[in-house]
Amino acid sequence: MEKVTSRGLTLLKDTKLSRRKALTGAAGLGIAAAGAATFAPRRAPYVKGQAKTQLQFWTGFTDPDLATLRKIVEQYNAQSTSYEVIVTQLAPAEVTDNTRLITAVRGGDSPDIYHMDRFTVASNAANGLVQPISEFVDEAVRATYLPFAMEEVTYDGQIWGMPLDTDARALYYNIGVLREAGIDPTEFDQSNGPVTWDRLLEVANMASVRDANGTYSRVGFVPYANQAWHYTYGFSWGAQFYDEANCAVTPDDPKMVEAMQWVYDACASMDANAISAWETPRRVPGFPPQQGSLVTQGVAFEVTGDWMINQYAQYAPTAEYGITYLPVPQAGMSSATWSGGWSMVVPEGSTNAEGAVDFISYMCGEPGQRIYTTDTRHLPTITSLTTDPSLYTELSSFFAAQLLPTSNNRPPLPVGSKYWDEMTSAYQAIYLNEAQPAQALATAKENTQADLQQFC
Amino acid sequence: MATDAVAVAPERSNGPTPRRRMSRQERQNLVTGLLFISPWIIGFLAFLVYPFYETIRLSFTKYNGIRDPEWIGLDNYRTMATDDLFWKVLFNTLYYTGLAVPVGVVAAMLMALCMNQNVREQPIYRAILYLPSIIPVFALSFVFLNLMDPTYGIVNRLMVDIGLPNINWFGDPAYGKIAFVILAQFGAGQAALIFLAGLKGIPQHLYEAASIDGAGNLRKFWNITLPMMTPIILYDLILGLSLGIQIFTQVVILTSPPGSPVNSNLMYVNYIYGLVFRDFRSGYASALALVLFLITVVLALVIFRWSRSWVNYETV
Repeated sequence: MEKVTSRGLTLLKDTKLSRRKALTGAAGLGIAAAGAATFAPRRAPYVKGQAKTQLQFWTGFTDPDLATLRKIVEQYNAQSTSYEVIVTQLAPAEVTDNTRLITAVRGGDSPDIYHMDRFTVASNAANGLVQPISEFVDEAVRATYLPFAMEEVTYDGQIWGMPLDTDARALYYNIGVLREAGIDPTEFDQSNGPVTWDRLLEVANMASVRDANGTYSRVGFVPYANQAWHYTYGFSWGAQFYDEANCAVTPDDPKMVEAMQWVYDACASMDANAISAWETPRRVPGFPPQQGSLVTQGVAFEVTGDWMINQYAQYAPTAEYGITYLPVPQAGMSSATWSGGWSMVVPEGSTNAEGAVDFISYMCGEPGQRIYTTDTRHLPTITSLTTDPSLYTELSSFFAAQLLPTSNNRPPLPVGSKYWDEMTSAYQAIYLNEAQPAQALATAKENTQADLQQFC
Repeated sequence: MATDAVAVAPERSNGPTPRRRMSRQERQNLVTGLLFISPWIIGFLAFLVYPFYETIRLSFTKYNGIRDPEWIGLDNYRTMATDDLFWKVLFNTLYYTGLAVPVGVVAAMLMALCMNQNVREQPIYRAILYLPSIIPVFALSFVFLNLMDPTYGIVNRLMVDIGLPNINWFGDPAYGKIAFVILAQFGAGQAALIFLAGLKGIPQHLYEAASIDGAGNLRKFWNITLPMMTPIILYDLILGLSLGIQIFTQVVILTSPPGSPVNSNLMYVNYIYGLVFRDFRSGYASALALVLFLITVVLALVIFRWSRSWVNYETV
């Protein structure tokens, strides 16, 4: 050991490399290496003989839907001779939260494909977060999709993404809970058509159970639970949410005010605070679906979507339940529902838009949508697939056959996310009986319109 | 030494002292030193100085986070004055901080006094008291939510059993902020450790002298423990202020959409976050961030100024 040290020192002496210089050099090299690693452009690793171009696909989905996405990606990769798609799962977040994508685009590290809630596409397009892909999607292809789904990915005359799936809202009812409360569930059979909102509330109150302190241990119907959103009531009452001629949002449409007045009164009649005490803990992000009110028989009725069929199958396979049309404000009116869904977009900064659209066309085209519909029970956006009986069970065919053809969609606006959040804030004030509907909706209009004005 | 100083003084009065050239060795030492601390210098410049400069610059622009910023002068600051939500989140944040920080000091002091008891099971008690502080906020928030659930939560059930109202913590706009204050106390173990170190540093002879003079435990606490702990209390106040005013994670975990209901639990940083990553208003968010910085500095200065009247820096 001593010998080595002595030789080392000799070497340092011989080459006039002092210990200080060696340390300085080492520190400098370290910094240079760190700098090089930090600022070097990121490229896909080169693999000898690799012919395919890699495409990065980001999604915030979790299993079981993520597993289906991966399955479709694998099939695409197997048949594509030009591209290989790599799936990256993002941490789940609110659908209006674009943190990862904004920082990636701004940082010059965009993915090639991004899984985006469709109602936010117009807003993200208007702000320069996604690329138009009109040149890759010809008219014939566009015509094969449900018109409202295509409308949601269209902004300013351009196509900004392709629709993957869709959904529809309906009224679910727990047959066991109704029977236990002495209520005949046959009144809610689909064949009888929709009941009125008032009748729903009347029956629901018969199924509610409260203790001596007024705390609910079962609620017949929580007027704002799950998918009973502001839009749900607005469409039911026939409200318009956007005045295109005047470039104005219209959450204060008289029919919307009327709808929200019903929610206000319904909550007041059930004790708004007691209902909120039941519902609030179930609204936190990540609340386990197996503890949801419907599958645990905690409620008699709930407004939710087609995906609930899978949750029942998974968490309460023996539960007896029914699905019917959303109620109507007055007997004789037509039931109205609305649809959302997801899309695939090409973020700004991706240098391989053509490749990305090649994958998107597969994923959102018939091959991908067939697998996705069969495995996840979500509804397809390709019109011809909505009438293909091989893709549906008896329960899910109701959504495709009865609800989708007349379903509504939220207006695709450059401030769509802001509009949703402002209406949600107003909605909370209404169902908690903290503000009168007209006043709360006027505030939502004022706040949203201020942001919309720059795009008018 | 004194003679040298007198001799040097007249030279200084005649003008600036000529700067002595650094020797080669000294220059090499300087370069070596700078290279070794350069990771910190680079980090400081890249992650503190540059973002701070950018925040100031962007606060005078209309900037959506993607496209190039557009200079708009003081418009963002004018908007702030008429933005109801800005005033609401400022009130929410100061309300939370104003409650959480002093309650936190009391909680930490109580925990430290308990940990300082000379009993055989002391290590076990210390571990139990400190345990909640090492649980991630995310997990702790869910535990808290279950404890305080108005339908099934054990805390709410006990409250009802003793005749208190069944509080809807996160659904009733009046109670959400108080729930966050209670949740913050689960992390008081961190501060309690520092308080414990402070308690250990108080000389025992002070207590012995007080005992001889006939002082009881309460008198000893007020006249010895508390005055001797004031520097640590000041440290905890400043740290608590800085952390309290930046409350963020708990709001995201426990309310949906963040700040619900009716923005009654929306805190300042959550508002900034929403402006940047949902509303594409990074310019306005930068102005808000700068104002938050200034508010924090002013509050810290006020506390420092106030502390002159009660902090005891004397050592024994």
